[in-house]
Amino acid sequence: MKSDSSLSTIVKALEEVGAFVEEVRDSEVYFRVTRENVRAAARALYSLGAYLKTCAGVDERELSGLFAVYYIFGLDDHGVDAVLRVLVPQDDPWTVSVVPDVPAADWCELEVRDLLGIDFRGRLTKRLVLPEDWPEGVYPLRKEFKYDEKPPRVLREELSEEVGIPVGPYHPALHEPEYFELYVEGERVVDVAYRGFHVHRGIEKLAESQRFTYKQVPFLAERICGICGFVHSSCYVMAVEKAAGIVVPERAEFIRSIVLEVERLHSHLLWLGVAAHLLGYDAGFMHAWRIREQVMVLAEYLTGSRKTYGINLIGGVRKDINTEKIDKVLKTITDLRKEFTELVKAMLAVPQIKSRASGTGVLTKAEARALSVVGPVARASGLYRDVRKDYPYLAYKRVSFKVPLYTEGDNLARLLVRVDEVFESIEIIKQLIDMLPGGSVVVEEYDIPSGRRAVAAIEAPRGEDVHFIITGVGRPYRWRVRAPTYQNIPALRAMLRGTPLADAPLTIASIDPCFSCTDRVTVLDVRSGRKSFIRLKQGV
Amino acid sequence: MSVAKILEIALRTGRVTRRYPYEPPLLTPEFRGAVKIDPSKCWGCGACVKVCPPNALTLKPAGKEATLEYFVGRCVFCGMCAEVCPAKAIEVTKEFELSATSLEDLKSRVIHRLARCSICGAPIWTEAELRTVVKSSPIAEEYYLVCPKCRKERFAKAAMLRLGAGSE
Repeated sequence: MKSDSSLSTIVKALEEVGAFVEEVRDSEVYFRVTRENVRAAARALYSLGAYLKTCAGVDERELSGLFAVYYIFGLDDHGVDAVLRVLVPQDDPWTVSVVPDVPAADWCELEVRDLLGIDFRGRLTKRLVLPEDWPEGVYPLRKEFKYDEKPPRVLREELSEEVGIPVGPYHPALHEPEYFELYVEGERVVDVAYRGFHVHRGIEKLAESQRFTYKQVPFLAERICGICGFVHSSCYVMAVEKAAGIVVPERAEFIRSIVLEVERLHSHLLWLGVAAHLLGYDAGFMHAWRIREQVMVLAEYLTGSRKTYGINLIGGVRKDINTEKIDKVLKTITDLRKEFTELVKAMLAVPQIKSRASGTGVLTKAEARALSVVGPVARASGLYRDVRKDYPYLAYKRVSFKVPLYTEGDNLARLLVRVDEVFESIEIIKQLIDMLPGGSVVVEEYDIPSGRRAVAAIEAPRGEDVHFIITGVGRPYRWRVRAPTYQNIPALRAMLRGTPLADAPLTIASIDPCFSCTDRVTVLDVRSGRKSFIRLKQGV
Repeated sequence: MSVAKILEIALRTGRVTRRYPYEPPLLTPEFRGAVKIDPSKCWGCGACVKVCPPNALTLKPAGKEATLEYFVGRCVFCGMCAEVCPAKAIEVTKEFELSATSLEDLKSRVIHRLARCSICGAPIWTEAELRTVVKSSPIAEEYYLVCPKCRKERFAKAAMLRLGAGSE
């Protein structure tokens, strides 16, 4: 927390709308607010400059006999997380939606409605996360629902008679499923409908089941994402450590930070390659990935695995860094810097890259703010947001680096933000290696009391990753994960409107949506009503 | 010419793709692959089973035996089992070429004989674990061959006798 006065400003503003402070822990303030007042409280926070990080529904009936909805706001300027806790009685489960004032809450409220059965008033609701054949009235996040239970499927009759080509949204060989329906008028996109959550795996439920323990969850968390897995496992262990008050050795914090930056390097290089590929510049793609390969080898040398590093434990890390590893890190990043500089120069000299990327997929600053977008998407639209600066965690308070900021909000800006971040990451790793303190890398003895709460956030390559935890006995009572793409996908609608169809693939890719997610689009011509399926990678 | 820049890089770099499998794969010394359990060292204590995040290791008693099974199809190659193994029976190998034509080929097993309670006959622990425990701290047979339930009952009975309650 940067100062006590900022805390009192927040408390005062919220007390005016009927909220009261429940708990203050480190940089988190928990407020209790009634369901009638939640909208006013959210509005008050938003006008103080808060961003919505996420919201989470919790079945607290075992603790208090009530359901609870947590709205987690981050006040970047103050480095404070303000959490609103709304209690909802179980026999009358509804609350007032904050979406009219905070559009960013759209998805997470729908998720609470699907999984916990709490209704939100004052907004449009629809099923978001659960599959279409899931029965009504079965809510998987309620505690009485067993993690491996399979409710009977309900086949719905009212599915439309119109049959599309049944190949989407699953690509038979590659990539993750997501589904975009682009409405076009001639060559212009006029609207976008998105359907996701085809691979909702119930990871949050699994982690609170008997099947898992605190120590096993880092390995589960790592598998949330194939590209920024280490971010998730670090964020989980940070949340648990924060809740339980475990002090992690400094050396472990440095090692985590180094590995996080190595992960950012590989992720940005991957993205750059994919972007080049989508623009039809396959030579650039090949070379970006060739350069990336040495980062992958470095990651394996540091952690034991190219991806899903598996070195995070509650209380520290499993692998130490020795002098040989330090030499290898320094050599790799020196080579990388040289080769990357050269490649970027060559790539940006290709006139088509610049002309295709600039001015397309524009996200204005106001839209970015309303949707609480994160990461390079926010920074390309002129929002100065970086968890590493706003809520310094691990070793980031010790290093100095710049946060690249562009105001154009177009695809080129998002590309350049990532290019700049590669250079910044290289500098960060250098500084961390220089300052690497001695000592042990893990604390073995610790105790995790139940009933504690904590919010942890990490700047993933794609933006802010948030984990919220309520501790339980032997395992988390509730663990809520909000990946960065969750926050950024709704912004695609704003970006795609009015964009030529040919620029849609790059625009969708420009938020780096765990990129593989976005393979298939349906193009629907609003004038002729003709529907055709097109593979995104064909460049439309 | 802007296009020529990338050609210059390409010509300088040459081919980087390895001719795997004709060339050895690029593995660093830290690489973690599948694990290997040494049956001669394993006690069947089940520490690895408890720590394994994806349940790739299971220990199931059946009749007179308990089987420790390692199913590589579920393994996430974290190596936590090797870290916790008190017998140092688990080794993390560099093996990653794991494809097989049958599911059975992906499983390996260590079969342990179970020791039985000398009073009720219920299986207590594996014979190998029993041997190890006795070797490191010798205790009388009347203790180690009695299951916890029977031991509790026996203790309760003895305590009652001490308190003056008569035997049935």
